[in-house]
Amino acid sequence: MVYDGILLGLIVGFIRAGWKNGLLALSQINIRFGWVFPLLLLGQFGLYLLQDKFSFFAQFNGYIYIVIYVTGLSLLWLNRHQKGLGIIFAGVLLNFVVMLANGGRMPVSLEAAQAVLDPIYIDMLMSGDAVTKHFLMDESTRLSFLGDIIPLGPPYPRSQAISIGDVVINVGVFLFILQLLGKKSKPNSNSLPENAL
Amino acid sequence: MGSQRQGYRLKPQELLVVVICLLGTLLFLSFFWDTGFHLPNSGWVMFYALVAGAIVLEYFMFKLPPEGNHQSMDSTIFLAALFIYGPKFSLMVLLVSAVIIAFNRRHVAWWKHYYNFVTYSAMIIGAYWVFEAMGGTLGDFKVVELYAYVGALATYFFVNVLLLASYFFLLYRNQLIPVLAHFVRESIFAYLGILLFSIVLLILILKTNMFGVFLFLIIAVLLSHVFKQLFLMYHEINDKANKDQRTGLFNHSYLEEKLDEYIQLYREEGKAFSFAMLDLDDFKKYNDLYGHPQGDKLLGFVGSILKEECEPHGYICARYGGEEFAVIMPELDKNKARLFIHQLRKRVNNSPFEGVDVLPHGCISFSAGVMEMNADTYEKSQLVGFSDRAMYISKSKGKNVVTVYGEQTFIPQLFEHEINELEQQIKVFLSKDVYTFKHSKRVYSYAVDMSQVLGLAEEERRTLILGALIHDIGKLEVPREVLTKRTKLSQDEWELIKRHVTFGKEFLLATGKYNDLVPLVELHHERYDGGGYPHNLKGPEIPKLARILCIIDSFDAMTTERPYQRTKSFTEALDEMRRCTGTQFDPELVAPFIRYIEQRIEQGDIPEEALQAFEQQQKQQEPNERI
Repeated sequence: MVYDGILLGLIVGFIRAGWKNGLLALSQINIRFGWVFPLLLLGQFGLYLLQDKFSFFAQFNGYIYIVIYVTGLSLLWLNRHQKGLGIIFAGVLLNFVVMLANGGRMPVSLEAAQAVLDPIYIDMLMSGDAVTKHFLMDESTRLSFLGDIIPLGPPYPRSQAISIGDVVINVGVFLFILQLLGKKSKPNSNSLPENAL
Repeated sequence: MGSQRQGYRLKPQELLVVVICLLGTLLFLSFFWDTGFHLPNSGWVMFYALVAGAIVLEYFMFKLPPEGNHQSMDSTIFLAALFIYGPKFSLMVLLVSAVIIAFNRRHVAWWKHYYNFVTYSAMIIGAYWVFEAMGGTLGDFKVVELYAYVGALATYFFVNVLLLASYFFLLYRNQLIPVLAHFVRESIFAYLGILLFSIVLLILILKTNMFGVFLFLIIAVLLSHVFKQLFLMYHEINDKANKDQRTGLFNHSYLEEKLDEYIQLYREEGKAFSFAMLDLDDFKKYNDLYGHPQGDKLLGFVGSILKEECEPHGYICARYGGEEFAVIMPELDKNKARLFIHQLRKRVNNSPFEGVDVLPHGCISFSAGVMEMNADTYEKSQLVGFSDRAMYISKSKGKNVVTVYGEQTFIPQLFEHEINELEQQIKVFLSKDVYTFKHSKRVYSYAVDMSQVLGLAEEERRTLILGALIHDIGKLEVPREVLTKRTKLSQDEWELIKRHVTFGKEFLLATGKYNDLVPLVELHHERYDGGGYPHNLKGPEIPKLARILCIIDSFDAMTTERPYQRTKSFTEALDEMRRCTGTQFDPELVAPFIRYIEQRIEQGDIPEEALQAFEQQQKQQEPNERI
C-alpha cells in the first residue's frame, strides 16, 4: 500500500521538478540510518516465508513484528524533522497501536473485505489461519476504528482494505517525495547586485 | 516562564476570553458526557473522509483582496456532517481536524487555536439547536424542512460573527459595533455562498457517498487555486500602483496616504511616530560623472539597503522624489528615531559601491532631518516641510549628518553665502590633505552647535562659525609631505606646522574681506595658561571666540585620525579635556562644551569618522605594542 504514495509522489514530483532536476534531487536523499529500512522490509518478507516452515516463527511472529515496528518507529522519530517523515511516523504509530491492542495482528473489517476483496482471501481470514498479519475483527476487537476498515476498490486501480494509519503513511510518503524532488539545486545567486563591489 | 507568570493578573477582557473558552468546552463535552462516541466501521470511514476534507479545505483557504481577508470552506464539511450524522459526529470531526491543524501550525499561539475551536463548536451547536427547534430532522435532505436549514445556517453565521467580533473587541479593544458591521459587510456574500455549498455537499454525500466528498474537495481546491491567482494579480497591480519601480520602495503618493493614516492614529489614539527625510549627498556630482543610468543604479542600491533595514521593524520607507527618501517610524520618539537613522547612515556609509570614492565623503552618504509627530502639527505637509528644513540644516553642517527638527541651530540666511564662499576656499584641501578638509567641516559643525549652546549674539555667532570653517587655511602653505607624514616630526617640521596660524592670518589679510576672522585663525592654538603659540597670550588676553575654537579644534583633533597623534574615544577625550581645564582650556567655556558632548554620547550621536578612526587605531595598536 505504501507504494501508491511513492508512485504518486514520484509522478507529481517529476512533473513539477523536471526529469533531470528530479533525478538529481532524488540522489541527494539523506535519512539518518536510512539503510536500516530495507533491512526491515527484508526481515518482514523473510518472516512471511519462514512462518509456514517453522512453527517457531508462526508462534512468535507477533512479537517479531513488534520489534520491527519499534525499530522503524524510532528511526522515523530520529528523522521527524524532515517534511513528511513525521506524518509517516504518526501513521505507523496508529497501525502499531491497533496491532498492539490486538495481540500483534491487524483487524480487518468483514464489510470492507467483502466489498472489495477476493472471496478466497476472505475465507482464509475467516478460518483464522495463514495470512500472518491480519485477522477478521469482531465485537471483542479493540480500537477497531484504527483497523483495516476502509475499502478501496474500483474506480481505484487496486482492490484492498486499508486502515487510516495506511492513509496517513501514504500522505506522508507523498509529501516527503514531493519535497525531496521540489528542492532546488543550489542556484548561484548573489544577494548583492553585481555592481555592488 | 514560571517567574514571568508570578504576579501576572488577567485583565478583565482576557478573563472574558477564558470564560468563553470554558463555557464552550463544557458545551462541547456535554454532548459526549453520557454516551461517548461510537460509530459503525463504515461510519468511521466517512468520518475519516470528512476530517481529511476539513483539513484540506482549511489548508486551501480562499484569499480575498484586500489585505488579510480569507475564507475557509471547512464550514461546509461541519454543516453537512451535522445535517446528516448529527452534532456529535460533526463536533468530533471538528475536534480531530482542529487538533491536527493546530499541530501543523505550532507557530500560532495555542490559545488562538483553542478559541477558534470553541468558536466553531458554539457555531455547530447553535446551528443544531435552531435546526431542531424549527423541526428539522437529521439524515436525508427534505425540501419541506428548508426553513429549518436556513435558520440553522443563519445561526451558524451570526454566532461566528459575534464571537469573532468579540474576540477583536476584547483583545484589541476595537469598538464592537463597527467591527461587527465590518465583518458582516466584508464577508457576507462569500460566507453565504459557503453555507449554501454545505447543502450541495449534503446532497452529494447522500447520493454518491464517498465519491461526493471527493468531487467536492477537488472543486474546492481548484476554486481556491483560481482565487489565489486573482489575489496575486490584485497584489501585483496594487504594488505597481504603490511602489517606485526604480528602487522598489513605496512611492510618493503611497507615503502621503500612510502619513495621513498615522497622523489620524496619533490624533485619535495618541500613537507616537517619527518621520525622517533623507537626501543623498552630492548625488548630482555622481550623476554628472557617471551618467544617469549609473546614478539610477546607485538609487536602486540605496533603496535596497533602506528596505532591508526598515522592513524588519515595520517602518515604511518611500522614495520621495529624485534622490530624496522618506521613512515613517511608528512608535519611535525623536531620539530613538535619530538613533535608527544614524545606524542607517552608518550602514549606508559602509556599503561599497562603484565610483563613490570620488564623492567628498568617499562613500555613499545622506543628510537627514528627523521629526517626531507632535500636537502642533496638523498637516502632513507641515511634517514634510519641517523634516525637510532639518535635513537642509544637516546639509549645511557638512552633510552625512542627522538633525532632529527643533534641536537644530538655525543658520541665519544673512551669512549663508559667506559660508559657501569660505567653503570654496577650503575645498583646495580636497586634493592636498583630505583630513584637513573634513576636520574643518567637523569643527565648523561643532561651532554651529556651540554658538547655540553658549547663546552667542548674532555677530559673535557669525564670527565663530566662519572662523571655525577657515581656521586651518594657513596649512595651505605647509608642504603636503609634512602634513601627511606618518612618522614623528622633526623640530623644523614642527615649527613649520606651528606657523600655519600666521600663514592663515596673512591669507585673510591679503584677501581683506574677512579681517574680523583673523583673531580666530591666528590665536586658536593659544593656551589658557600662556603656553600656546604664536604669542604666548594668557587667559583673558586671548579673545573669547578663539578660546572656544581652541576647545573645539582640540577635541576634534583628539577624536579623529591624525598622522602624528593617537586617537581617543569621545569619553577618553572628555577626560583629557577635564584634565587640561585651566591649563590649556578656559574652565568656564570647557564646562558647557563637555555637557554638550556628553549629551551627544548619550544620544549615540557620534560622527562616523571619529568612530572609524578610533576602531582602526585599536586594531593597529595591538601588533605595534608587541614589537
